[in-house]
Amino acid sequence: MMKPRTSKWRNRGKPFVIILTVLLLLIMLFPFFVMITTMLRTSKEVYISPPRWIPHTITFNNFFLVWSQYLLAGYFKSSAIIAIGSSALNMLLSIPAAYAIARLRFKGQQVALYLFLVVQMFSPVVVVISLFKTFSALNLLDSYIGLIIINAVFSMAFSIWLLSGYFKSIPVQIEEAAFIDGATRWQTVTRIILPISSPGLVTTTIYTFIAAWNEFLFALSFIQKQERMPLTLGLYRFVGRWSSQWELLTTSAFLAIIPVLVLFYIIQQRLIGGLTGGAVKG
Amino acid sequence: MSERVLTPHNKLRVREARLAYALLLPAVVCVTGFMIYPLVYVFLMSVFKTNRLGWLVKFVGLTNFGTVLSDIEFWRVTGRSLLWTTLAVFMKTFLGMVIAMLLNVQFRGQKMARMLFIAPWASSVPISVLLWSWVYNPQFGLLNHTLKITGIWPNPPVWLGYPISGFFAAIWVDIWIGVPFMALVFLSGMQSIPEELYESADMDGVNNFQKFKFITLPSILRIVQISTLLSALWTFNDFNAIYILTGGGPVNSTDILITSIYKNAFVYARFDQAAVMAIITFIILTSLSVVYARYYFKEDV
Repeated sequence: MMKPRTSKWRNRGKPFVIILTVLLLLIMLFPFFVMITTMLRTSKEVYISPPRWIPHTITFNNFFLVWSQYLLAGYFKSSAIIAIGSSALNMLLSIPAAYAIARLRFKGQQVALYLFLVVQMFSPVVVVISLFKTFSALNLLDSYIGLIIINAVFSMAFSIWLLSGYFKSIPVQIEEAAFIDGATRWQTVTRIILPISSPGLVTTTIYTFIAAWNEFLFALSFIQKQERMPLTLGLYRFVGRWSSQWELLTTSAFLAIIPVLVLFYIIQQRLIGGLTGGAVKG
Repeated sequence: MSERVLTPHNKLRVREARLAYALLLPAVVCVTGFMIYPLVYVFLMSVFKTNRLGWLVKFVGLTNFGTVLSDIEFWRVTGRSLLWTTLAVFMKTFLGMVIAMLLNVQFRGQKMARMLFIAPWASSVPISVLLWSWVYNPQFGLLNHTLKITGIWPNPPVWLGYPISGFFAAIWVDIWIGVPFMALVFLSGMQSIPEELYESADMDGVNNFQKFKFITLPSILRIVQISTLLSALWTFNDFNAIYILTGGGPVNSTDILITSIYKNAFVYARFDQAAVMAIITFIILTSLSVVYARYYFKEDV
């Protein structure tokens, strides 16, 4: 899959390439370096001026402190509930829709197709100002259900696109053969289509999970209660309130980033393919 | 309807369509309820006078549009949004291209470097932005310390304290988040260019710059177009970088359209004006996505 080539750059260019790469990496990874070097210090060493790159004493104490100092466990719980709920709901909504678009003939197919493409680009900020009223009318403010629904809906268009692409790429002949053998439509879906497109299912599930885990705007607008706050909002409020505890904040940030970082590396190649519409092969 | 003869084949067709509608129903209901309906309501808000809770009070036609369009602050914010998008997308494309070219060279640790370059994209955006606000801290932050000590910038500004430096600090964070996507997409594109093209160019004694201009760039042009458009959409829409870093401050001087809509609605309770700006934003974004859709569906080059 990856075939880096050298002929473009003669070998004499290589040291230059490596130096530039390292330099750019230092710049791009700088905030992560700051995060790691801050979370390993005592609060005393966080607030010295001029600051130090590497602390004199390294401590892992912050990893214990964060759990007792504020509601980090609660934020984690909220984020997990919202992210898992959104991915599940997203699957429930997009698999049937993607199947209909990929496999069934009906009037309005084009309309449906374009509807999902257009809403993929919907700006959350544009609708959030009136969505607030809808949510309060439906009693969805300060609830997990509300955030689960809205996160699922905003990931749905992309999921339907990606999944219907996967479904379409499966040769119809396989299903036709199964039909002749007496299989029902339900069986062709559960035994043929879904297993074959499992990479697509994994990608969309993880994509929705990550998007919901990282979501900030809707949480900011709809959640007031501390115990319902996801990590993004909880940490944001934490900075506002206790701006003097960056060793704890960087520790929490580290813990909050790890799950999405791992998941992201699993799907990144397929994600790029989906976003650029086959211009780039996954 | 009654004249149509239902042959067995037609019956099957009708059943198939019914099944399709049933399968699409939940998704369509959700999109309608949580995206289309709120959007329609925003349209209504923009032509009504609203109260502090966002309720429609009185139909006023285009008065709100007049109020917003004659407000100098609106034009400042819009200008900043355009500057924000143009500058950030340009930088993302440029840096993305440089990184892709570097990663396209085989060297030891090249795979590792690729993994590491992805990190800003893979990380949680709101949390990264929070980290940046610590990085930018004038007294204890490591950025200014590093700039001073290395002599790159002996007297760095209090980044988030002033309108211009705050704005550029936020743009940089947005660029930082968006570069990895561009780099990866460009890299994938470059790796699908047949090696022979470069070999024959080598034989003709073509230099590296010419190779880039006449082989690499034309081959990945479509990829560059698609990803630049997508990036423009995301960048224009970015709420987190400005809101979390500066909150649009000091005194709204770093607000872009997206953060201004939010603040007008939820901070100043001017829902009608927020709605007008939201509609304008919607129009801009929709035209961008129509162009994106065109490129997305274009078969080859």
